[in-house]
Amino acid sequence: MNDSKKGSKFSVTSSLLITLSAVLIVISMFFPWWKMVFYAPQYPEGLNIIVYPNKLKGEIDIINGLNHYIGMSNFSEKNFPELSYLIYIIGGLAGLTLLTAILRMKKVLYGLIGIIALVGVTGILDLHFALQRYGTNLSSKAPIKIDPFVPPIIGENTVANFITHSMLGTGIYFVIAAFILLLIPLWKDRVR
Amino acid sequence: MKKWIPIASGLLAGFVAATISFADFSTKTNTEAASSTKSNAEKVYVPFGEKDDYYLFASGGHSGQMFIYGVPSMRKIRTIPVFSQDSATGYGFDEHSKKLMGGYTWGDLHHPAFSETKGDYDGKWMFATDVGNSRAAVVDLKTFTTKDIIKVPNTAGPHCAAFVTENTEYMFLPTRFAVPLGQKYESLDDYSAKYRGVMSAVTFDEKNVKLNIGYQVALPPWSYDLSDAGKKGSADWAVMTTYNTEESTTTMEINASQADRDYIVLFNWKELEKMVKEGKYEEVDGQKMIFPEKQKGGIYLVPVAKSPHGVDVTPDGKYFIASGKLAPAMTVFSFEKAFKAVENKDFAGERNGIPILNYESVMEREVNPENALGPLHTQFDDKGMAYTTMFISSEIVKWDPKTGKTLDRVPVQYSPGHSVSAEGDTVAPDGKWLIALNKIAKDTYLSVGPSHPESMQLIDISGKMKVIMSAPVDPEPHYAQMIKADKIKTINVYPKDTKNKDAVYKQSETKIVRKGNEVHVYGIAMRSRFIFDAKSKRPDVIEVNQGDHVFIHLTNIDFDEDITHGFAINSYDLNMEVQPGQTNTMEFTADKAGTFPLYCTNFCSALHQEMNGYFLVKPKN
Repeated sequence: MNDSKKGSKFSVTSSLLITLSAVLIVISMFFPWWKMVFYAPQYPEGLNIIVYPNKLKGEIDIINGLNHYIGMSNFSEKNFPELSYLIYIIGGLAGLTLLTAILRMKKVLYGLIGIIALVGVTGILDLHFALQRYGTNLSSKAPIKIDPFVPPIIGENTVANFITHSMLGTGIYFVIAAFILLLIPLWKDRVR
Repeated sequence: MKKWIPIASGLLAGFVAATISFADFSTKTNTEAASSTKSNAEKVYVPFGEKDDYYLFASGGHSGQMFIYGVPSMRKIRTIPVFSQDSATGYGFDEHSKKLMGGYTWGDLHHPAFSETKGDYDGKWMFATDVGNSRAAVVDLKTFTTKDIIKVPNTAGPHCAAFVTENTEYMFLPTRFAVPLGQKYESLDDYSAKYRGVMSAVTFDEKNVKLNIGYQVALPPWSYDLSDAGKKGSADWAVMTTYNTEESTTTMEINASQADRDYIVLFNWKELEKMVKEGKYEEVDGQKMIFPEKQKGGIYLVPVAKSPHGVDVTPDGKYFIASGKLAPAMTVFSFEKAFKAVENKDFAGERNGIPILNYESVMEREVNPENALGPLHTQFDDKGMAYTTMFISSEIVKWDPKTGKTLDRVPVQYSPGHSVSAEGDTVAPDGKWLIALNKIAKDTYLSVGPSHPESMQLIDISGKMKVIMSAPVDPEPHYAQMIKADKIKTINVYPKDTKNKDAVYKQSETKIVRKGNEVHVYGIAMRSRFIFDAKSKRPDVIEVNQGDHVFIHLTNIDFDEDITHGFAINSYDLNMEVQPGQTNTMEFTADKAGTFPLYCTNFCSALHQEMNGYFLVKPKN
């Protein structure tokens, strides 16, 4: 092994960490990535919108039923085309991660980190705009008139008698863990 | 280079993420406590947020309903309409319940009985009898609603179920009033020859939720009162009390109280079942009828102190205890001795073709607590001790069936008929609580005029008996059963039934279909509107012609616990409810022309008051 090669390739340990990262990304697909819990005096147990990469779960029908009072449009998988292809993007990223582990090239790793960061930012913006769309595009004929609002991606918001809590889901924690695993080789195999 | 650091930190990251997401940090509090150091108020106080330990199912007598209470708080939770119409729930108005009621408008609900598995309540079904119109019903404990009612022929006033057999094979319905077979006209002068006290063996088809009659027994024309099924070693047997063995036909108060002894009918239902299988019966009004004087076997008479009321089998299934309401004593009989007497044909003659067992051969002991009068009904605790209600001396007496010794007694206000202890009819009673079902409340509550509610008194039986709470109750609990709350598994919403042709779950699929003069509405109710035809200019309007036969199929698409909608048509005397997820049908003829507002009767939401529409009936010509 010469020096120049040492600079562009990373260690087997790092490769294993990156493999683990790919595994975590795959696992994340089976868990919810984000959720919103609605609490009201009549719903102390909370109503959920649980977002998986490919589906919505929770008490969507009940939430839609209540949201029509403020003129909000229905949450449905149909209204989120992202849910039909997001799973392939995530799968693709997992594949790229695995490929990076096999190639063991630092440049590829930099590229991968860049792509994942980009996809992540895009995802956050997408969610933000979706929330904005729902919160500001309220029917003018709604029985209860409220000011337009944008629920936060993480945190609390109050709408009429509902307090919503938005939070990250298990899946995203796996992704964060996966991302940290990708960063470790940068430090571990840094040129000294 | 320490290679394990990055690996470990990676795994740690994963575990932390998993822990944050999955760990259950909530703590569970144990609410159950029966500490004897608690005050009476503390014993019955169930704080907001906590729930009672037991459900009490009390028969509603001539209200035709069943009342559900929580124990120990004695808070009333629910009224289940069974044999009578109830506009609060639309019972008797919608198609299903109207059919169940079979044209009757009231009933006299006497004896509730839980379904049992291995002699223990299984919390699945509740049965009840109607003395008023000779029916039996089954209530589904997933929804607390009546599912089936059967009219029992040849019988008039099934007073009590045999509290079902050990595995709910049968519910026995002995009759209180003897009538001629088919309830045909016969002169009362021919009472002994032409009248019969028919007992019915009712079966329950759990899969199809259907009651049926397995067979009937044409017992002598006496009045049959209480009954109980055997347990464990006596599981194939059942016992019931009978009075008016004098066969008097008038002024029964005097004439049916003449004989010093009446009987307990002891029968082996397995043997009767076998006889029916072997064809040893006669067909009467489509029923398989056993005539004990012709098809011998399986039925015996046990002499008992005059005019008995209660007969109760001990939890171990070894004894049955009879109480003569006009005699001061209770009698403990031994099943084992009875079996031996049957085997040895140790008979003291026959009555109406049925062998009479020798009293001395079957009797274990007579129990006569001092000055205790009018013993009616006995319940048991976890130690097998007996608690008998004394109607006339107005008290509960605790005694030991094994020794006959009186252990404790407590006055109750006033005149208890039955009492019920926690799971007191099972092979394993819980002890803890006993409730006296008193016929007279008189001065107990704020006065409401000359007549008062009945009263249910909660008695702590964990130590010395003590009345610690009294709750008023509508007329009138004859009997009640108390079940551990965790045995009952209710549903929150009705599940979608895609096979139900009357159900519509999407707004867009609502429609009004006309077939000749029949109009079928397939509509939905949701917060806070009705949609009968989504494509219509006014989706919440139904317009028909005078004389049309109208079917309104309504589905509540709010799959949300307790969001129940009602549906009433003003001035048409119609109202029904649709519980969350439920589909219900209303059928009627639009014979009145005019404009009739329709509206949601069950307060459902902030805009409930706006949940209405119109039912328009165009006049003929």
